[in-house]
Amino acid sequence: MKQFSEVYDLLRRKNRKQYTLLAGCLFFSVLLITAYVCMMRSPTILNVLPEGGDSRKQVMMIFILAVIGCGVFTIYAAGLFFRQKSRETGVFLALGTRRSQLRKELMRELTFLSVSSCAAGAILGAPLAWCLWQLFRICVVDTEEMPLSFNPQAYLFALAFSVFVIAILFVLGSRSIKRTNIIEIVQQSHKSEPIRNVPHWFGPVGILLLIVGAFFGYSMPSFFVLVLHWYAPDALSAIFYLPALVGIYMLLLHTVVNGWNRKKHRYKDLIATSMMKFQGRQTVNNMLVMALLIAGAYFGSFYTPMLGTGAMMAYDARPVDYAYHYRADQQLPTEKEVKTLAKEYNVTITSWAEIPMARLAVDGDAHVEKEGAMGVTWENQYMETLCSNLFLSESAYNTLTGEQVDLKPGQIAGIMDSTGDGQGVFDGSATLVTNYVTGEQYPVTTVDPLKNDILFGRFVVDDADYDKMTADLSDDWKEYMVFFNVENCEETYNFAKALFNCIVDASGPEVEVYDGWDPVERDIALETEGSYFLDSYKVSYDQRNSSEFRLYWQYMPQFRVLDKADFVKTTAVFLILFIFIAIICFAAVFVIAFTRCMTIALTNKQVYDDMRKLGASRAYLYASVRRQVSRVFFVPALTGTGLIYAFYAMIMYFNDNRFTAQELAGMAVCLILVVAVSALLYAVYRFTLRRVCRMLEI
Amino acid sequence: MLTVQDLHKSYQVGKTTYEVLKGISLQVKRGEFVAVMGPSGSGKTTLLNCISCYIPVNSGSILLGDTELAKLDEDSLAAVRNQKLGFVFQDFLLLDGLTVRQNILLPAIIGSNVSATTEDRADQLCEIFGISAIEHKYPAEISGGEKQRTAVARALINQPLLILADEPTGNLDSKSSRAVIRSFEQAKTSLDATIFMVTHDSFAASFCDKVIILQDGMVRHTLERGMMDREAFQDQLLDIIRELGKE
Repeated sequence: MKQFSEVYDLLRRKNRKQYTLLAGCLFFSVLLITAYVCMMRSPTILNVLPEGGDSRKQVMMIFILAVIGCGVFTIYAAGLFFRQKSRETGVFLALGTRRSQLRKELMRELTFLSVSSCAAGAILGAPLAWCLWQLFRICVVDTEEMPLSFNPQAYLFALAFSVFVIAILFVLGSRSIKRTNIIEIVQQSHKSEPIRNVPHWFGPVGILLLIVGAFFGYSMPSFFVLVLHWYAPDALSAIFYLPALVGIYMLLLHTVVNGWNRKKHRYKDLIATSMMKFQGRQTVNNMLVMALLIAGAYFGSFYTPMLGTGAMMAYDARPVDYAYHYRADQQLPTEKEVKTLAKEYNVTITSWAEIPMARLAVDGDAHVEKEGAMGVTWENQYMETLCSNLFLSESAYNTLTGEQVDLKPGQIAGIMDSTGDGQGVFDGSATLVTNYVTGEQYPVTTVDPLKNDILFGRFVVDDADYDKMTADLSDDWKEYMVFFNVENCEETYNFAKALFNCIVDASGPEVEVYDGWDPVERDIALETEGSYFLDSYKVSYDQRNSSEFRLYWQYMPQFRVLDKADFVKTTAVFLILFIFIAIICFAAVFVIAFTRCMTIALTNKQVYDDMRKLGASRAYLYASVRRQVSRVFFVPALTGTGLIYAFYAMIMYFNDNRFTAQELAGMAVCLILVVAVSALLYAVYRFTLRRVCRMLEI
Repeated sequence: MLTVQDLHKSYQVGKTTYEVLKGISLQVKRGEFVAVMGPSGSGKTTLLNCISCYIPVNSGSILLGDTELAKLDEDSLAAVRNQKLGFVFQDFLLLDGLTVRQNILLPAIIGSNVSATTEDRADQLCEIFGISAIEHKYPAEISGGEKQRTAVARALINQPLLILADEPTGNLDSKSSRAVIRSFEQAKTSLDATIFMVTHDSFAASFCDKVIILQDGMVRHTLERGMMDREAFQDQLLDIIRELGKE
């Protein structure tokens, strides 16, 4: 051994564990991010998540959290690596090695280590995503839109993240060599990171900031839009969440340094507390990232139970087993044909109601957007023909619902959902109704709304008014609504599927349109802007089982048995994407918690040896370790879980200033999910505790 | 060999400045074995760290041979540390991943001057310090005394002008301490080494030719052993230290 590089190689072989841990962390972080990006940028996912929609924003938000989480544990692993290496560096410098010589050797090995780990992570990221996806397809659900395809663009993200990780490694490596004071380097591995005294008000103020941040972060975007008529940039709205972030940090800091019940157990917790306290900053930073990742993971996880529970309850609450509507110019199966089909499937139709509806234009305030120095603002501009709605006569409504509504001439009543809510899209009011074919206009007065889930968003008018208003309408402005019930609805899936296929097969290309497609809005858009955005969004009869078709086709039938049975299939891509995201985030949390605990063990090994020499029993040492490990695991878990649960509850409540039965049921199911994930977290905690004890020889 | 002139060093802690070395001047001749003693906080280790160029000085001069250490750039300092200085630390600072022999050869490897002569020299050093039998062992497999003798051999491998030792017996039992001090004596007599040692151990210091006693960052006494008996010299040192303690 004559060359300095040979010494370096030899030491690397001897310190294999340190290198393996760093390489493992780099590999894992790039693997997770690549898998996430492959999934996020996959055409399979992008086709399902509407552009600019909330789901896509949520996926991006959690992705940013995952990048922060993976970045943090990479920095942390690199920091640990250089700390362990600092003694070696110090000795080399003390013995007269030039810094340039050391830097050259370090960069040589870092290049190999980081490039190979990141490359392995990036290469295996896509197969990991694919394998997980296939596993879901085999074990959970498989639909025609499920085959996963990848966008090569995803590899650019993976490459960018790898470059980011490698850059961090090089900066930290270079900084560790640059340290001018050899004495500091030699002693660096013994240096602790004390945090300054934390005032006791940090705890309560932290909670207050958390509540204030969550409230204002959630409500300010609505305030900007509704009160200031201003579409504020997303970044500005996000700033209002900052107090919540500061609040969590203060809360964790107080919990780690002061504790909530310290006076009572001052001496019992002395060792564990003081150890945690003097590794302060890193512990709290780790906890903060873990809490945010846990919150993000639950945010993704809650999507499925909230959506599922709400949907199932809504299906059950429908007033009728089968409902569909169709345009009068479509040749759909007649009552006789439907009944014949039912017979073929041994289904007995117990009641049948078919009523006419008509599409009429209504007036209202249009949101006219303006581009200015502040960005996009809007103002209301009254339009006599703003959009169109479906209208029913009062007798038709009574036939369908069995109610006895009696409106006076000139009155209209909007139909809200069964809870009386307009779901943010329908206010149920109008003052002027226009027959769009003849141009005849009819002033009306809005009266108290009606409630019906299936007829939601339509208007009811007096019978005589209906006849007047719909006179001379062509068939493409008229529709029919069909309601029928069957015996043993739960056993009629095959019939429902067959009827659904009949309806789709009989529908022409002119009604192959999105849910919100509106001929009046289209005319206005063509006149003012030259194009109508929903002309370019198409649903396809060829993909009648896809979630996009089932969720967004304007004439999608509402068959209770079909919707319930196919719910998972219909929303499969959403569900699995969010489950996948949750897995990635929880995996990152587990790795951070594990590496943090192992570092605590490594840093405190000497303290435990000394305590043993002072006569501490195995039970005492074990209890001390358990307190520290449990704090690393459970403080962020409780914070993140509590935070997101409360946040979700807040969203649910402020949607309509109340909790609906569906929302409460969804929250209960989420609670079950929390219990299941907590059990998993506990298992990882037990595993980590065992490994830490083994390292400390307890 | 080593001339320190009017050396000042202070530390800033918050808004308070602590002056640790207040104008130290001293001289070490070639082949001399010199100890620096003094109570805690007297500036012994700071003085050694300044001479080692591990920490920058505020003012003053450190002349090693004809080289002004305080004015050297990074690379020249590294060369001086490697070629002209040898280091022995209180907690040995051996690399755990290298064997005893590899640790001894490390300064030569760093200086890219490993040759048959260097290898022979390593063998010779192992023999002189009684560590030949353990030269293929790792630091974790040997005793504290053996570790420190390995460190002394490492300090001598490049035939430096000066060996700087920081509390070399601080972590050792009396038997090991004796062995280490003996190794310094051997280095001095057999290899004509010059040694500058910081210690609080009067027994170790009593083997030296000269003992410089610091207090409050200044040289309070410089004692030459001359032809004096070792035990008598140790008694003299103890008396002075006792006197300092009374002040």
